[in-house]
Amino acid sequence: MAVLHAWRTARVTPLGELHTPPRMTAALLRLAVQVVLVASLWHGLYAHTGTTAGMTRDQAVTYAVLAVLASRLRELDQYAARDTVIQHMHFGTIVYWYLRPLSPQRYYALRALGEQLYGLAWALTGFAVCLAAGVVEPPGSAAVAGAFALSLLLGQWILYYVMLAIDQLCFFTLRNNAAMLILIFAQNLLSGVYAPLWFFPDWFVTMSGFLPFQATLSVPLSLYVGRIPLSDAVPALLVQAAWVAVLALFTRLVWRLAARQVISQGG
Amino acid sequence: MPLKAVRLAWRITRLNFRAQLEYRSEFLMMVAIGAVWQVSVIVFATVLLTRFSGMGGWDSSDVLLIPATRMLAHGLFVLFLGRMHGIGYFIQEGQIDVCLVRPLPVHLQVQLRVFPTNAIGDLTVAVGLMVAALGRSHLDWSAGRISYLVAAVLGGMLLEAALFTAVASAALRFPTADYWGRWLEELLGTFGSYPLNVLPKAVGGLLTYGLPLAFVAYFPAAVLTGHGHSTGVPYWLAAASPVLGLLAYLGSRLLWRWSLGHYTGVNG
Repeated sequence: MAVLHAWRTARVTPLGELHTPPRMTAALLRLAVQVVLVASLWHGLYAHTGTTAGMTRDQAVTYAVLAVLASRLRELDQYAARDTVIQHMHFGTIVYWYLRPLSPQRYYALRALGEQLYGLAWALTGFAVCLAAGVVEPPGSAAVAGAFALSLLLGQWILYYVMLAIDQLCFFTLRNNAAMLILIFAQNLLSGVYAPLWFFPDWFVTMSGFLPFQATLSVPLSLYVGRIPLSDAVPALLVQAAWVAVLALFTRLVWRLAARQVISQGG
Repeated sequence: MPLKAVRLAWRITRLNFRAQLEYRSEFLMMVAIGAVWQVSVIVFATVLLTRFSGMGGWDSSDVLLIPATRMLAHGLFVLFLGRMHGIGYFIQEGQIDVCLVRPLPVHLQVQLRVFPTNAIGDLTVAVGLMVAALGRSHLDWSAGRISYLVAAVLGGMLLEAALFTAVASAALRFPTADYWGRWLEELLGTFGSYPLNVLPKAVGGLLTYGLPLAFVAYFPAAVLTGHGHSTGVPYWLAAASPVLGLLAYLGSRLLWRWSLGHYTGVNG
């Protein structure tokens, strides 16, 4: 029964998307154009250059295209579903999260799981097309592919906790628009979406090592393109696992504190 | 705009600003987000310029003029005409219907609905980058060049406003068109800041004739820095970018007026 409830909750977002074909068409077009543009930009940049910052043209293009595809995993228009924490705080409906026979933590996690699985379907389809078209290189070996898959899973897990922490901020500040935008910026910059972290100065790479963002995307993609050799995969995966544990404990604590902030019908 | 409307707009803007100050931490973070968002463009451009030997035959000081122009145009757009962006929810929630019964143009009401705090950060970084770009430039900044640069910034602002007004016009009929606005912003931020001749011709053509991002900053900067003949479009067309921005904006306002005339809310 619990599995059935979980399935019903997790499929809310994918079903919502599947019933809005214009949004799906727009997402498809946007993804295709973004992949073409990014691949063209990196091909153009490498036109008169060989290896730069230890990355060859094929590695850089593969990294950049995979970063675009990976960004689909959490790129849903969450406001459209009218079920974000900030919307519930604004309209006072957050209290219903606490009145259901399903805890807010569990409900939030299941919705996010559905979103990420839906995004994964998009990313995998895009990956298959790019691989077939020769836009991205295949992984170096089966072991690399396995390490990448595990690392991507851990990365998405970290990203889930980071997004949750920002949503939890709403319980205390009522608004989180600016915090969300700053987070998206930090995530894009420090995880290597704008450009692979290998291109940045050493101090920047060192600083990003102390933050969770690089573990969400830069680590799995670096494993995929071979910038992190397979021999160094275990320490990288352990660091990711450590971030998962730390953020899980932190957000669990904040859920408890957040529950004390919820006010029903003004009193 | 009549003097009475200007006075009213000023009073509403002051009230909106005070309303934004009500949430102090949110206000400060919104200023910060404007700044950091633009810094991301600078970081990316700096990384590319230091790692690769120039871009598309442009030296770094010339390239810098492109993001500086675009960013300044964008900051002014956010400050004066930016509320067209993200109007989808405003329409979906039926708030546009309220505007229709008030004795003030709907477009003006939409622009006055909130004070764009993030524009403070946007413009701070943009001015800083423009000062840096002009400081590193080897060009002779004659009165003619400076006038053209000012026209280019204003033209870029109007062109960006035209694109978002067109999306807003579509949102009157299809509220989910707002999605395209976010994509447009992403494209402008990512590809509006570099010499587009680094891209393959077909892709550059798409960003020139399909979605006219090239006219916002790339073409004006090319004309100013002497690359105007190697942009892949006739020189006169590249040079006319500020005028095209003005024409596009006027066209988009006509489209908005037409779309508003055909708007039907939930009550028909």
